Amino acid sequence: MQQTLTLYLQLPLFRRLKRNALFIMFIVHLLLYLLTLPVIMSLSDDDDISYHRSPLLLNTQGGLNTQNGEVEPAVKALEARQDEIMRKLYELKAAVEGLAKTVTTPDADLDLTVSSSSSLSSQSPTSTTFRGTTDLDALLGKDLGALRDIVINANPAQPPLTLLVLHSVLCQRYRVLSTVHVHSSASSVPPQLLSCLGPRHPDSYARQMFQLGFTLIWKDVPKLQMKFSVQNMCPVEGEANVARFLFKLLSPYPSDPAVATLVDSWVDTAFFQLAEGSSKERATVLRALNAALGRNPWLAGPEFSLADIACYCCVLQSASASSAPTNVQRWIKACENLGHFGPAKLYLK
Amino acid sequence: MSRSSICLAALSAPVAANKLGPPSPACQAQPSGTGGGRGGGTGGREGLSCTDRVLVRVQDLIPEKADQLIWLRARVHTSRAKGKQCFLVLRQQQFNLQALVAVGDRASKQMVKFAANITKESIVDVEAFVRTVEQKIESCSQQDVELHIERIFVISQAEPRLPLQLEDAVRPDGDGEEEGRATVNQDTKLDNRVIDLRTTTSQAIFRLQSGVCQLFRDTLTEKGFVEIQTPKIISAASEGGANVFTVSYFKTSAYLAQSPQLYKQMCICGDFEKVFCVGPVFRAEDSNTHRHLTEFVGLDIEMAFSYHYHEVIDSITDTMVRIFKGLRDNFQTEIQTVNKQFPSEPFKFLEPTLRLEYTEAVAMLHEAGVEMGDEEDLSTPNEKLLGRLVKEKYDTDFYVLDKYPLAVRPFYTMPDPNNPKYSNSYDMFMRGEEILSGAQRVHDAQLLTDRANHHQIDLEKIKAYIDSFRYGAPPHGGGGIGLERVCMLYLGLHNIRQTSMFPRDPKRLTP
Repeated sequence: MQQTLTLYLQLPLFRRLKRNALFIMFIVHLLLYLLTLPVIMSLSDDDDISYHRSPLLLNTQGGLNTQNGEVEPAVKALEARQDEIMRKLYELKAAVEGLAKTVTTPDADLDLTVSSSSSLSSQSPTSTTFRGTTDLDALLGKDLGALRDIVINANPAQPPLTLLVLHSVLCQRYRVLSTVHVHSSASSVPPQLLSCLGPRHPDSYARQMFQLGFTLIWKDVPKLQMKFSVQNMCPVEGEANVARFLFKLLSPYPSDPAVATLVDSWVDTAFFQLAEGSSKERATVLRALNAALGRNPWLAGPEFSLADIACYCCVLQSASASSAPTNVQRWIKACENLGHFGPAKLYLK
Repeated sequence: MSRSSICLAALSAPVAANKLGPPSPACQAQPSGTGGGRGGGTGGREGLSCTDRVLVRVQDLIPEKADQLIWLRARVHTSRAKGKQCFLVLRQQQFNLQALVAVGDRASKQMVKFAANITKESIVDVEAFVRTVEQKIESCSQQDVELHIERIFVISQAEPRLPLQLEDAVRPDGDGEEEGRATVNQDTKLDNRVIDLRTTTSQAIFRLQSGVCQLFRDTLTEKGFVEIQTPKIISAASEGGANVFTVSYFKTSAYLAQSPQLYKQMCICGDFEKVFCVGPVFRAEDSNTHRHLTEFVGLDIEMAFSYHYHEVIDSITDTMVRIFKGLRDNFQTEIQTVNKQFPSEPFKFLEPTLRLEYTEAVAMLHEAGVEMGDEEDLSTPNEKLLGRLVKEKYDTDFYVLDKYPLAVRPFYTMPDPNNPKYSNSYDMFMRGEEILSGAQRVHDAQLLTDRANHHQIDLEKIKAYIDSFRYGAPPHGGGGIGLERVCMLYLGLHNIRQTSMFPRDPKRLTP
C-alpha cells in the first residue's frame, strides 16, 4: 500500500499518464482498505497501532481526511506549524522592506505607504512630518459659529494636483467637509474629477460638525481662484498662492527667512517653469533639483516642506519622472514613501 | 363640396369695403372685379378648392425656396406705400418678412393702393413668388428673401386705431426715454393683453414657461413620480385663517385652497410614495409687490423617503437643475429674445446644488454687518443680501438654505432631532429670492397634535388632517414652487406680471 503510494508520488508528472494503471490499482487498494477499516477498528482498539494511526492517505479530492471527513489531529498540528512558519516569513519580509524604505527616506519613522493607501482618513502620520502647532482661529479669524468654507474654482482642463495632495493632508489634521460641484459654465467634466476628493463623508448632512469646508468647483475660469472670506479677503489667484494658503493651515513657514525664501522660490519654480515651461526650461529645473538634492535630503534643507510637495506634483504632471537624474529619482521615491501623494498618483492613473 | 362651401362662408365675411377682389379667393372659378386678384386667370387656378392650397410658414421661407409660388397667411405688421410700390411686413409669431406689391402686369394701381390701406394687425392671405434679395433685410427675421405678391386677400380686418403699438411694446425701457420714442407701461399692456401677447417678447416668455412645465413633468415622471390633481374647494383653511378666499357653497361657505399640502400628504399616506401636482394656488394676501399674485400656478412635490430627509432635498434640487439645463439647451432663442427687451445676466448654477445651513447664512450676514437674531426669520432685504453674498463667494444663482429655526415654520414641520431649536426644513432661492419652501412633515399623529397645541391651533378644525396619520404614515417631505416666479427669476425679469398671462392681484380681476 505504502510502497504503491510512494512510487506514485515520486513519479514525475509527465509520466503519470503512463502510470494510470498504477493509479487505478492504488484506488482499488484504498477502497479495500477503507472498507476493512471499520472491521479492524471494532476488533482492536489500541493494539494494532500501525492500523490505528492510519497512514496519510490521499483521497480522490486530494485532502487529508479520515473516512469521517474530520481532520486528523496530527495533520492539524502539521498544518498549524506550516502556517506559523509562513506567517513569520511574510512578517520578516515586510519588516525588511519597511526598514529598507525608511533607510532611504529621510525623516520617516515608519513605512507609511501600507497604512495610508487604504483610506484618506488614516491616523496622524502627518504629526511626524508637519511639526508645529496651528490654531485655526488665529489663522482664519474667529469662528462665527458656522462652517469655514474654502471655495476653490478650478478649470477641469488643468486639475490642481498640489491642492488635492494638500487636501488629503488637511483631512488628516482637521475634520474637513469636502464637496465637488460642476458650474453651469463648465461643459463636460470627466468622472474622475468628480470623485477626486474622495467618498462623501457620512456626517456630511450636518455641516456645522466640521471645522473646515473644502468646496471644489469645476468652472470655466482662466486661472485657478480661491475665495474664503468675501468681506475680508480678495480672491487668491494661482495654484502656487492657494497652495501656500493651505499649507499655512498645516504648519507655519520656516522661521528662518532665508529658508522661507528658498521654499517660496522652489514653489514658484515648480509652477512657472516645471509645469508651464518649455522642455528646455524643464530640463534646467531638473538639473537644478538634482544639484540641490545632492546636498540635502529635501529641497529646502533637512525638513520636508511645501517646496517638495509642489515640485513633486509638477514633476509628476510634466511626466518627466522617468527621465529624471539620480538624485531626483531617489527623492521621488522618498516622497512617495511618505504616503501623502496617494491621491495625486490615483488621479494620474 | 360642403367643405369648400364652409370655406366660402368663413372667408367671405370681413372684406374691405371697396369690394376689391372676390370674397372667397379660390373657391370660385373666375375672379370678378378689378384690382386685387387679377392674377386669377392663370392656367390651372380654376377648379382648385381651398383645401388643396398649402399655407407655408414664414420661418420656412429661405433662399432655397426661391422662385416658388406659395400661399401664406400672416398678419400685416406694417404697410408703406412708395409711389408705384407698396412694402408690407408680414408677421407670424416671432418671424416676419418683407413683401412687395408693385404696379406691373400682375397688379394694378388700385391693388397697390388697396394693399397700402390694409390696417395693421389684419390677417391676410397672400399668393406670392419667393425671390432672393441682394442686400440683407436687417429689420426682418427672414433676411435673405422677400415676397413679390400676386394676389392678396383680407381674411380678418383689424380696427384702424390700436390701443398700443407693437414696436412700442417691445422697446426696452431705457431706449424709449432717451430717444423720445414711446414705450408702453405695464398696466396698458395688461389691459390689452391680447395685443401684448403678440409681441416677440411675450411669445418667448410664455413658450419658455410652457417649457418649464413640460420639463418639470418629464423629469419627475422619469423619477417615478405620479401626477395627481387635488381639490381647490376645501372646507378648512390649511395654512392659517387670514389669507384665504371664501366662496359660497350652497348653504354654507367653503375656501379656495392655499396649497395642495393636505392632499399631497394624504396621497403619501395612501401609498403613492412620490407625487407631484400642477395647479392653481389662491392666496388672499393684500400685497402689491413685484412678486406677489393672488392666483398663481403651483408646482408641488411630495415624496416618502427612506432614511434622511436630505433625499427629498436631493430629489428636488436635481429636478430643478435638470429644468435649468433643459432651458439652457433648448430655449436659447427665447432667452435671447427676452434679453433684447430686458437685458440680464445668464442664470448660473452648480451641480450638485449648493446647500448651506441657516447658521452659516446668519454668520455671513453678521460678517456683512447685518444685525439679526439667531432664530429670527430672514426679511426680504436680508434674503437679497444673502443672495448677493452667496453669488460673490460661490458664483451661483440657485442654492438651498437648510435647517431653519423651528419658531418660524408652520406647525406640521418636523423638528430637528439633534437640536430642538431648529427644524428639518429648507428654502430654495433663485437670484436671491425665495422660490420654494419645504420641509420634512410630521408623520406621527401624537407629535402633530402636540405641535398644533404649541401653536395654539384649534384641533377641531384640523381633525381630518390629523386623522390621516393615524393608520401608518411613512416619513415624508416635499415642497412647492411657483411657476411664474421661477420663470421671472430665471429670465432675470423684475415683475411677476410679465410672466403671468392674465395676472390676478388685489387690484386686477380682468382680463
